[in-house]
Amino acid sequence: MSVIKIESLVRDYGNGKGVFDVSFHVNQGEAFGFLGPNGAGKTTTIRHLMGFLKPESGTCTINGLDCWSERDKVQARLGYIPGEISFFDDMSGTEFLRFITEYRKVGTQSRKEELLERFELDPGSKIKKMSKGMKQKLGIIAAFMHDPDILILDEPTSGLDPLMQNRFVNLVAEEKKHGKTILMSSHMFEEVERTCDRIGIIRKGRMTAVDSAATLRERHTRRYTVTLENETDAKAFATDFGGICNGTNVTVTTKQSLEEIFMNYYGGEKNDE
Amino acid sequence: MMNKALYRREMKGSIKLLIIFGAIITLYVSIIIHMYDPQMMKTLDSFAEIMPELMASVGMKADSATLLGFMVSYLYGFILLIFPMLFCILRGNALIAKYVDKGSMVSLAAAPVKRHTIAFTQMSVLVSGIVVLIFYITLIELICTGSSFPGEADITALFVLNFGLLCLHLFIGGICFLSSCFFSDTRYSLASGAGIPAFMYVLQMLANVGGNAEKAKYFTFFTLFDPDGIIASENNAIAGIFILLAGAVVLYASGIMIFKRKDLYI
Repeated sequence: MSVIKIESLVRDYGNGKGVFDVSFHVNQGEAFGFLGPNGAGKTTTIRHLMGFLKPESGTCTINGLDCWSERDKVQARLGYIPGEISFFDDMSGTEFLRFITEYRKVGTQSRKEELLERFELDPGSKIKKMSKGMKQKLGIIAAFMHDPDILILDEPTSGLDPLMQNRFVNLVAEEKKHGKTILMSSHMFEEVERTCDRIGIIRKGRMTAVDSAATLRERHTRRYTVTLENETDAKAFATDFGGICNGTNVTVTTKQSLEEIFMNYYGGEKNDE
Repeated sequence: MMNKALYRREMKGSIKLLIIFGAIITLYVSIIIHMYDPQMMKTLDSFAEIMPELMASVGMKADSATLLGFMVSYLYGFILLIFPMLFCILRGNALIAKYVDKGSMVSLAAAPVKRHTIAFTQMSVLVSGIVVLIFYITLIELICTGSSFPGEADITALFVLNFGLLCLHLFIGGICFLSSCFFSDTRYSLASGAGIPAFMYVLQMLANVGGNAEKAKYFTFFTLFDPDGIIASENNAIAGIFILLAGAVVLYASGIMIFKRKDLYI
């Protein structure tokens, strides 16, 4: 059953910017990676799902509810991490989380404490003085603390260090296990590849591919087997290049960058974003 | 209709401004009321006679016989118009447009709260601030007149006068709120929310000078608030109050409607 459904969504900003005839869906309990370079239309699509923008044509629905006209009902079971974090600067993190709890009328079943611990965030300081990473953590906690069924995450790991990125990936994996539906945008293939079941690629406002993560991974990795003179060299080579050593043979794999994947889809047309 | 958590947060945001403007108003109102003294009056009237245009432009005229007339001349032409107006401009802009511009509207819009509720709550915050300010002005005036000149001020007329002042500022607040809902960029929201009332006030100053410039009064809503007319219980002046009130309702309602339908690039 598809929970998030976008059909022929159009919003034209002029100059070829915007989204054009975008359609895809995310099933119940699925993690969907929404991949594309900067300015491709990821955030614009997500803003339509959030009910911030009205579609010029086409429809967006979540659980069968229209994302524009029934946005307050849609929001009830939804968690959102915005692409650009901008909270009330005058508040401290603690005040902000308390405010959101009251504003959303979350009640007592909040996961706030558990999440604060998981991301090692001390929310006591003023948001104005927080680093990019701290604000991002605060955004994650604000999005997850009311235990939503649907998660819309716009470049959620930006600003996080690798350790915290890992914790976030684990959190998303756990949520998926609990049957949550997740839409996660990113401009890094590696990030969505690790967490998502299916991946949709958007470029210049148009969907260019929707495929399972495994298929895409298969299609865009290359393997080379190199034979070296002796096993010592082979072992050293395997360590240096992250390959798998088998006697004097070492198999190394390379992943294409997003740029290359796009070029692949466009038959070599340079991505000019 | 209203979100309590948001209302509380925003009222906290209003407090600082309310205290500052409250203090300024206390200072002016108490000083000016204590200046009401036949001897002193002559000095001020002589100013008005020497440079009538300048004094008239800020609503100060000679021959302010009664205490209330004196207050109308020296308080209701400038001080009690400008400071609450500044409050409307600053808060009006900050309640909607600033959040949209900075992107922090995300926290409010990405929640199971209707846009109608968000806008209505923000409007209530602005209206509450204006009501508190006018209520405070009335209180200070009652205390000052009561302590210095007991029995001299016509209390009923003062209440009607301040009800008129309230409606005027609700109307100005309506302009600021509507601009705030309409524009997603603080620059434009401020330009129209501050620009329109300021321009109208300048027209009012021009009209006060008299002569040919008096025609300017047909182009400014400040004409609808006629303090001299109110204390003389003129029908036109009373009607003006209700036109301002009705206008304010229309402005706030349109602001909310616009906010409900607008695209938010947040």
